[in-house]
Amino acid sequence: MSERTGMNTLRNLLLASIVIPSTLLGLTYGLHPGIGDGTSIRFANSMLTSFTMISFLLLLTLFVYGDARKRPLAPFLGMLLCGVFGTALTLFFLSQGDLLMEDNGSVRAQALSNVIRFSTTVIACVVAAVIVFGMLFASLMHTPPARLEFEEE
Amino acid sequence: MEHCVQVQGILYKSFPIALVMEESFQAFLLFWLAGLAIIVGLMLGFFSKHGTTRRFGMVFMALGTLSILATPWTLTFSPSSAFGHFLGSILGPSVLLGVGLYNIAFSGHVPVGRLSEGDRRAGFAMVLIAMLWFEGMHWWVLTPTYPDEINRYWLIFWPTLLLVTASLSFVVYYIVKIVGDERNQEQRLLLTLFAFTSLLVMLALLRDGPNVETTQFAEEFWLAGADVFGLMVGATLAILLFAVVLAVYETQQPLPKQLDPPTNQQLVEAAKHIAKHVGEVSEDE
Repeated sequence: MSERTGMNTLRNLLLASIVIPSTLLGLTYGLHPGIGDGTSIRFANSMLTSFTMISFLLLLTLFVYGDARKRPLAPFLGMLLCGVFGTALTLFFLSQGDLLMEDNGSVRAQALSNVIRFSTTVIACVVAAVIVFGMLFASLMHTPPARLEFEEE
Repeated sequence: MEHCVQVQGILYKSFPIALVMEESFQAFLLFWLAGLAIIVGLMLGFFSKHGTTRRFGMVFMALGTLSILATPWTLTFSPSSAFGHFLGSILGPSVLLGVGLYNIAFSGHVPVGRLSEGDRRAGFAMVLIAMLWFEGMHWWVLTPTYPDEINRYWLIFWPTLLLVTASLSFVVYYIVKIVGDERNQEQRLLLTLFAFTSLLVMLALLRDGPNVETTQFAEEFWLAGADVFGLMVGATLAILLFAVVLAVYETQQPLPKQLDPPTNQQLVEAAKHIAKHVGEVSEDE
């Protein structure tokens, strides 16, 4: 595959992954134009929570990386800083009045609610992946193995 | 979080001492610490090189999961217990789905440990029941209700599941189309899944369920979109920073120590050894 074709394929793949959810969301908005309050707040909360949680998860994976690299301290500290930065940023924005607050009474309640909501979204994504890849794998395993046919001399 | 005036919770009922009287302490121990145990257990269970540590991780994860599943009974006062109730509600169909797909897959053309035809039929039945169960949670009386209203985490989960399944099935269809060779059956299956989930979304947007109205579903579906896009952006940023941190660390490492070139005496010695084992020709030849 040439470099240009590869880039085109990647671009089409990115487009495909954005077009379908956008179309479904567009249809939703078309059918129910009254919705949409608090979308940007939800997006910002989700982004900050996801950044913080995944930074901490990647921090844990550094223990595995450390096994192969004589337990270096620098990347561990780097990822710890990322996680702490995400947490501090989330708490800072949450404490700015109604900027990122949803239906929760305090900053702590909002932060904890964000974490549970993030967990729910991750569980939904995992179940969706099990459905899609499970069906694909099951179908692949039921396809008869390909036979190599040689031409007779 | 809101708390009742009267202290409640299983720890207080069992050990009414000063420390466990705090409801927030009970919530921390039985919910948040349990959640941390699941994550740490998962990492240890999957990534540790030692068998004992892996088993320890799995036990840790199981205990954490059980603690969260038990929160509707142990942390009745806490709003977080709704998440435990939600997890318990989707556990049945999710396990059926996973085991069913496993049975179907491994009853196919597997060289070793192939499952029987009966397992395959059981797998199909499990997947069908799981699908109907999930559908019954939206379109019938099986909707998770806690304590006396629709569980809010179910309202987040269901639209997100439909949105991600529809998008993922289409993306995977496209990948199979590019990469796969004579994979028409897989492409048809993925397109069918995409059409099915899109149809479910449209139905939920157009028709009220017995417990969830179209407007509420539309609102939650829209917010699920914000959630998923936010998650993708946040995760991408975290992974990029992770890559930068590792790359910076690796580039700052000193080069490995270079050996001195061999001396003449070492070269002569090496040549002697090589000739003895490889290049020597016997006189008989």
